[in-house]
Amino acid sequence: MQIDWLTVAAQIVNFLVLVWLLQRFLYRPITSAMRRREERIESRLAGAREARETAEAEERRLEEKEADLDARADAILASAREEAEELRARLERELREEMEEKRAAWRRHLAEERDALVVSLRRQAGQKVLRIAERVLADYADSDVAERVAGTFTDRLAALDAETRDALAEAAADAGATARVETGHALGTDARRKLTRAIHEELSTDIDVAYSEDPELVMGLRLSIGDYAAEWSAARYLRRLETELGEMIDADTGASGREGDAEDEGAEDDRADDGAADTPDRETERQTR
Amino acid sequence: MEISPDATVLYEWRGLRLTATVAYTWLVMALLVLGSWAVTARLSRGERVSRWQVALEVIVSTIRDQIAEVGAETPDRYLPFIGTLFLFIATANVLTIVPGYQPPTGSLSTTAALAICVLIAVPLFSIARRGLGGHLKTYVRPTPLMLPFNVISEASRTLALAIRLYGNVMSGTVIVGILISVAPFFFPVLLQLLGLLTGLVQAYIFAILAMVYIASASRTRRGAAGTGAAERNDRGD
Repeated sequence: MQIDWLTVAAQIVNFLVLVWLLQRFLYRPITSAMRRREERIESRLAGAREARETAEAEERRLEEKEADLDARADAILASAREEAEELRARLERELREEMEEKRAAWRRHLAEERDALVVSLRRQAGQKVLRIAERVLADYADSDVAERVAGTFTDRLAALDAETRDALAEAAADAGATARVETGHALGTDARRKLTRAIHEELSTDIDVAYSEDPELVMGLRLSIGDYAAEWSAARYLRRLETELGEMIDADTGASGREGDAEDEGAEDDRADDGAADTPDRETERQTR
Repeated sequence: MEISPDATVLYEWRGLRLTATVAYTWLVMALLVLGSWAVTARLSRGERVSRWQVALEVIVSTIRDQIAEVGAETPDRYLPFIGTLFLFIATANVLTIVPGYQPPTGSLSTTAALAICVLIAVPLFSIARRGLGGHLKTYVRPTPLMLPFNVISEASRTLALAIRLYGNVMSGTVIVGILISVAPFFFPVLLQLLGLLTGLVQAYIFAILAMVYIASASRTRRGAAGTGAAERNDRGD
């Protein structure tokens, strides 16, 4: 066990040199490299943390936005559905109303047609009855009947009320015109003379009397002087019967519960039909008045 | 049988002898410095790090951690001294597996030199830390009566450091030498392995003890404000 102090000194120097060299080549570079790497890692971690926070914030923002959009879309959908439902209901209601209206119009039309048909049938039946009566009367009315008609006319003329007689007499005096006597059948000479005489007596004038035949009168006689006329004929009874029949029918159809409009239309139609069928009678009546 | 490498003189010039101790010390130094230089010359600061660099970083950071565990607030301040002690002793001891090599730590001159370095470094760090007055006060703590004991303790622990390392390494060498002459096969290998372990443990003990001495000598017992100022000083370094 020995200590060589020279060697000790050399080793001390060696050691110090080694310390310096290792500090130069080992510790300083290694620690600085480690420190820098740590700093870089730290900064990267911080960056990553920051990026993550940004991403999370962005995610939250997007989530909120999405939720908002979802809610808005839901609201829009709901309102659209509501509108569609409303529209559908409205269209359905309108369609139903329209259908109802059409059905009502059709029913009305149907009822009108049925009523018109009924009216027309009744009218035609009445007219047929009248025609048959006319024909029967015409067929069985012979000259004898004409003579009797003339007689009846004479009696009637005599039984005229004063007003009509005055009017006839005035007309006869005014015009100086001929008195026209129309009959359903040709009158015999005796009958004509009788009639002429009766006219002259009753109206106290010497008016000329012209005779003519009008088959429309069926049976009977019409006396006309100027604008005035007096008639005693079957046609007149038949006309009155027809009028009464028409009135009855109108009253009947009116009572069958039709609406105002339709009733009016029907009445017009009736009248038109009436007119078309009875034009000659009308004219006669107007003349009579 | 040569007990100490001091006895082996390789070269002599005008009274200056180049002993095996110094020669092998230079070898160890060259190995350490060249190895470090080879790695740190191509130091990577990025993420891709070479294995050698990783190895060195592990060694350096382990030493720092150990220094920090002993209680130093700023490991980097003591790292060159303590780290070099450990690396030098460990390398010198591990190289004993190379045939013909004689560990310089087996020389009392080397261990004495290292112990003297520690003896000087302890007050130097203490003075740097708290000034000359502050350091001198540690000798009279807790009472001035303790002054001689403190001085004796300082001297004796230095002696102990030197003798402990020298004894362990030298004994290992001597035992192997004896065993080779007694039982030349197998047993020397086992003891050689044991010697490697002992060498590393001794390196660790030597470095840690040095750090403990330094730390206990320079440990501040001032308030928080003083500690903060000291830390600022340390950072300034």
